[in-house]
Amino acid sequence: MATTACFIIVSRNDIPIYEAEVGSAVKREDVAHLHQFILHAAQDIVQDLAWTTSAMFLKAIDRFNDLVVSVYVTAGHTRLMLLHDSRNDDGIKSFFQEVHELYIKIILNPLYLPGSRITSSHFDTKVRALARKYL
Amino acid sequence: MEPDVSIETSAMIRVAVLPIGHIPTPLLRDYTSMLLRHDAVSLSAISSFYTEHQKSPFAHQPWDSGSLRFKFVIGGSPPSPWEDFQSNRKILAVVGICHCPSSPDLDDVIEQFGVKCKGCASALVRRCFAFCPSDTQLEDGSKKDSNFKLFPPADRQTQEFHLQTMMQDIAASLLMEFEKWVLQAESAGTILKTPLDSQANFNSEELIKAKKRRLGRAQKTIGDYCLLAGSPVDANAHYSTALELARLTGDYFWYAGALEGSVCALLLDRMGHMDPELVDEVKYRYSSVILHYRKSSIQDNAQRVSPLSFELEATLKLARFLCRRDLAKDVAELLTSAADGAKSLIDASDRLILFVEIARLYGKINYQRKAAFFSRQVAQLYLQQENRLAALSAMQVLAMTTKAYRVQSRASVSEHTLDDDVGQGSANGGKVLHQSIVSLFECQWSTLQMVVLREILLSAVRAGDPLAAWSAAARLLRSYYPLITPVGQNGLANALANSAERLPSGTRCADPALPFIRLYSFPLLSSQVDIVKRNPSREDWWMGSASSGPFIYTPFSKGDQNDSGKQEVIWIVGEPVHVLVELANPCGFDLRVDSIYLSVHSGNVDPFPVSVNLPPNSSKVITLSGIPASVGQVTIPGCMVHCYGVVTEHLFRDVENLLLGAAQGLVLSDPFRCCGSAKLRNVSVPNISVVPQLPLLVPHIIGGDGAIILYEGEIRDVWISLSNAGTVPVEQAHISLSGKNQDSVVSVAYEAIRGSLPLKPGAEVTLPVTLKAWQLALVDPDNAGKSGSGITGRHHKDGNSPMLVIHYAGPLTNSGDPTANGSAVTPGRRLVVPLPVCVLQGLSFVKARLLSMEIPAHVSESSPIPAFGDCNSTKEALSSECKLERLVKIDPFRGSWGLRFLELELSNPTDVVFEISVLVQLENPIADNNNAIDHDAVEYSCPKTRIDRDYSARVLIPLEHFKLPVLDDSFFLRDTHSNGVSTSRSSSFSEKNAKAELNASIEKLISKIKVKWHSGRNSSGELNIKDTVQKALQESVMDVLLPDPLTFGFRLVRDGSSDAAGRDMPTLSMIQVEKTASKGSMMANEVTPMEVLVRNNTKETIRMCLSITCRDVAGENCTEGANATVLWSGVLNGITMEVPPLKETKHSFSLYFLVPGEYTLVAASVIEDANDILRARAKADSPDEPICCRGPPFHVCVIGTA
Repeated sequence: MATTACFIIVSRNDIPIYEAEVGSAVKREDVAHLHQFILHAAQDIVQDLAWTTSAMFLKAIDRFNDLVVSVYVTAGHTRLMLLHDSRNDDGIKSFFQEVHELYIKIILNPLYLPGSRITSSHFDTKVRALARKYL
Repeated sequence: MEPDVSIETSAMIRVAVLPIGHIPTPLLRDYTSMLLRHDAVSLSAISSFYTEHQKSPFAHQPWDSGSLRFKFVIGGSPPSPWEDFQSNRKILAVVGICHCPSSPDLDDVIEQFGVKCKGCASALVRRCFAFCPSDTQLEDGSKKDSNFKLFPPADRQTQEFHLQTMMQDIAASLLMEFEKWVLQAESAGTILKTPLDSQANFNSEELIKAKKRRLGRAQKTIGDYCLLAGSPVDANAHYSTALELARLTGDYFWYAGALEGSVCALLLDRMGHMDPELVDEVKYRYSSVILHYRKSSIQDNAQRVSPLSFELEATLKLARFLCRRDLAKDVAELLTSAADGAKSLIDASDRLILFVEIARLYGKINYQRKAAFFSRQVAQLYLQQENRLAALSAMQVLAMTTKAYRVQSRASVSEHTLDDDVGQGSANGGKVLHQSIVSLFECQWSTLQMVVLREILLSAVRAGDPLAAWSAAARLLRSYYPLITPVGQNGLANALANSAERLPSGTRCADPALPFIRLYSFPLLSSQVDIVKRNPSREDWWMGSASSGPFIYTPFSKGDQNDSGKQEVIWIVGEPVHVLVELANPCGFDLRVDSIYLSVHSGNVDPFPVSVNLPPNSSKVITLSGIPASVGQVTIPGCMVHCYGVVTEHLFRDVENLLLGAAQGLVLSDPFRCCGSAKLRNVSVPNISVVPQLPLLVPHIIGGDGAIILYEGEIRDVWISLSNAGTVPVEQAHISLSGKNQDSVVSVAYEAIRGSLPLKPGAEVTLPVTLKAWQLALVDPDNAGKSGSGITGRHHKDGNSPMLVIHYAGPLTNSGDPTANGSAVTPGRRLVVPLPVCVLQGLSFVKARLLSMEIPAHVSESSPIPAFGDCNSTKEALSSECKLERLVKIDPFRGSWGLRFLELELSNPTDVVFEISVLVQLENPIADNNNAIDHDAVEYSCPKTRIDRDYSARVLIPLEHFKLPVLDDSFFLRDTHSNGVSTSRSSSFSEKNAKAELNASIEKLISKIKVKWHSGRNSSGELNIKDTVQKALQESVMDVLLPDPLTFGFRLVRDGSSDAAGRDMPTLSMIQVEKTASKGSMMANEVTPMEVLVRNNTKETIRMCLSITCRDVAGENCTEGANATVLWSGVLNGITMEVPPLKETKHSFSLYFLVPGEYTLVAASVIEDANDILRARAKADSPDEPICCRGPPFHVCVIGTA
């Protein structure tokens, strides 16, 4: 498992609808903020890159210091963004694919308003389990 | 590292601009801006200043197209250790600027300039420009140093031209100096050092190496000068040589420098001809530059000074060159790698410059978030330097990032972009599309926003900018209070307070802090001062704009309402208005709002401030008021709040949007709901217009405004005084009734108010109103026992009281304001005066019964007093006492039968005594015929009945006077209908008709009976007996009203004159029997001639078979049988008679009583060939049934001895 990993789902309206620190490192608030800042900044690159490829998994698209940003863009332009310090492309890809499936299940919920925050604790548990498995 | 580097930087001559003496900042800025315009001086322009002393080393100088470029460094800069490596780093010229009026001594100026120039040893040209010299200075200065240039006072254009000339002079001098330098370098050679090889001097091997390298380095430097002199072709030649030499000696650092120079020469040479090949070429060469710089830094890794900054600079230069939207990917890659280099940079200011440049470049390719990220890095670096200026810089840099992070201060936002769209959306549809709500909260990364705001707050505090600190703290607190711990919230509150202390009072800030304010309601005017639009074209002007249909809601009017937008509210100049707003403080500290008042953008309302204290986590609804000052539209977008020492404007729309977002789960929390306030629908600000002053009627009920306590049915007069408290006279007024129990208002003196118009300001009019208390509903018996005061309030709430609605208006046109639109008619007003009637239970009906009794009449020979309305006895009709007698006392000689009484049982549950009197109003049927009687109704009244408290009593009302005179066709028709035996019409119609007719007749009957009461307290009233009596009469009304078809009467015949009297008999239900002198008694053992009178009450001739029976007290027939006690002559049985319509027929017979005593005479007849009418009256079931008609019994008293 990676020491640092921050996972965020950004809705098509650029609102973070789910955020989780899934790294094994001891959580520090200022570091967590930095992670979010990096992910936020990486969106500029994602927005250009997403239209140049048909693949959903965009691999590592940005980095700052040792931290790398990998992005997976769904067809609805929801972005699954992972900030990590490991170089495990296959694991990240599987992680993204499985989280995407979870996300689809969330969207299928008629009571879920697309674009609003994902508050399901079940989703959270599953995502963290996947992070432990793949990252 | 240097800021703002680009590839072309290598070709720029660095000029230090130094202020000499004291110069006011704006002037300095002005002078420098004039100077900065001359950053390029074309070679063709300087040729006149240029003199070729020797052969120019710049053989290929493009005199027609080339130019010298300048880079002005204001204030100068310390000499760089790398200036040998890149000549453009040297300060090659110094320009001093002097403002003569502030530095009068020119010698001093020259001296100062000389001192300052010593700091720039590398400068080849020095000039000092003195602006605005006085005349004496002008004389002095021209004699002095040639480098000292005076700019005589002139207009700006002239000065600019002068300056341009001076710059051209400088450029020419520089060019000549460059030539000199190059010639010298070529011949003698120079020693060029960089910090990289400073230590290498001691090593002999290195020394040899350095000698080898010297040549290449010299060539590179000459190339640099060529570039500066604006001759790229020459430069390129030198650079090629330098590249060759550097490659051979392995001098990678200089190789890279020469390569960089060659790219710059290439670009200058191809200036204005950008093509993809050139871009590729530059990209290729620069990647090589970067590679060689990196190589050199690896090579010299051990050394203290790293050439890393050159590598980064080269990267930034390439990035800047490529900086176009379509090459964004390349630029981003370059910048990412440049950012990686930041870690290795030792100097913090280098890192700062690097991040600044990266942020700028990202901003250029429109990567706003990236730019914001690096800006924040810059700000953090600034914050690490713990001084005020750095904090100020940090604050400014962070302020630039707020746009990307969506935490802008409202002062910097150009509004009306997003907000207006959404505002309109909500106005139009009332329901905003989900998408547009989402877009309101786009890019809301709350974590980041909080961090950024916190950093702004920190830097602002450090920089000593209290307003910025206040604004940041306010934004932080307002937007992210749910994410902040109570301790943090307290901290922010303290920050607000501390900042406010350092701000002058009355400071305004664009960003609102707490509390959250939303519109609670726009209270419509109270019913006392309500405003009605006037429709001048109608008499009833107040009806104008109201929907005329009977429905409260009509689907057709809905569209109109949508078009006109929102609800409309009218305010009046000079009359206070109120608006309710709800404040919420969702934070964990006490919030004191020093003052809050409506923010009126239109400026025509003077708002009144109030101050509020909000405890933690609470909300409060408060009333904000103001006085409209002038006519016009009013816009109230929000409230002005003075809280924490700063005045802010809180817009209602922001909170509305916030609440919408909260409803959609996009925002963290709804501040009102978390304070426990109920969910409220969105209240939109109505269209408010202020109209000129209107009259104002103030009602006052004379005798106290308390409730008027009345017993049921009580009648009382009330006086209402209306005074005009406005400043405009009332010119029109109209009174109408509304509310419940309207019929309890018996009369209103409409003419009283009409007569007093126009009612001047201050005038008063009294309006008498007669009230009659209504019947209490049976469902609230609990009211009965309670005291009046307790009920008063409840009755007001119940709204049972009727209301007087007075529509009134001032003059039609507003004469005072000539600009007013003619079509705009000043509105009128509506005053609703509730009549505070409180009805107590009074007498109550227990029940009403119809009683019938038969009292046999005495047979007599004289005609008694007629029942009523006898035209021959007018004196009787006038004598009411007589009538009163007759109503209550039954005169047996008058002949009466089938008397019916209405018995009313009344109870008195109150604590006062009631006296009841019954009045019966009778029509005089002959009044029309007889003019002698001038009143058409006669009243009979019974003596008063007293009912004590908690007792009940019965009142009898005789109904005998209600019989109709003739059983005629028309009545009959009604009668048949009422019996449901309709012959000619369809039954359903007739039944309905019959019911209506029946009810009408009952009502007619009831309306004649009035039960009045008096109570000890001078209150009197009338009982409403309608319902109960109606119920009682329902069954037997026919019997009460309709006469029998035949009436029978007996009379003693004494002489023939009685016939005439008998013919004049009144036609009511009684047949007069003449009374004998001895009051109708007969003697036994005498032949008594008698007559039976049969009257036909119908309009048709009736044939019948009459029979007369006589019974004794035991009820046995005395005329027949074995022991008959009465003898007779004439026919008693089976008399066949024919009675013409409305006529009488008499049949004479004689009786001979053997035994004295009481006898009863009864006449009965069987009608032959009865028609339908008769059948119906007799309620016959089948057509074959014989119709019998029996007369009432007559009493015969036989005296004498047996």
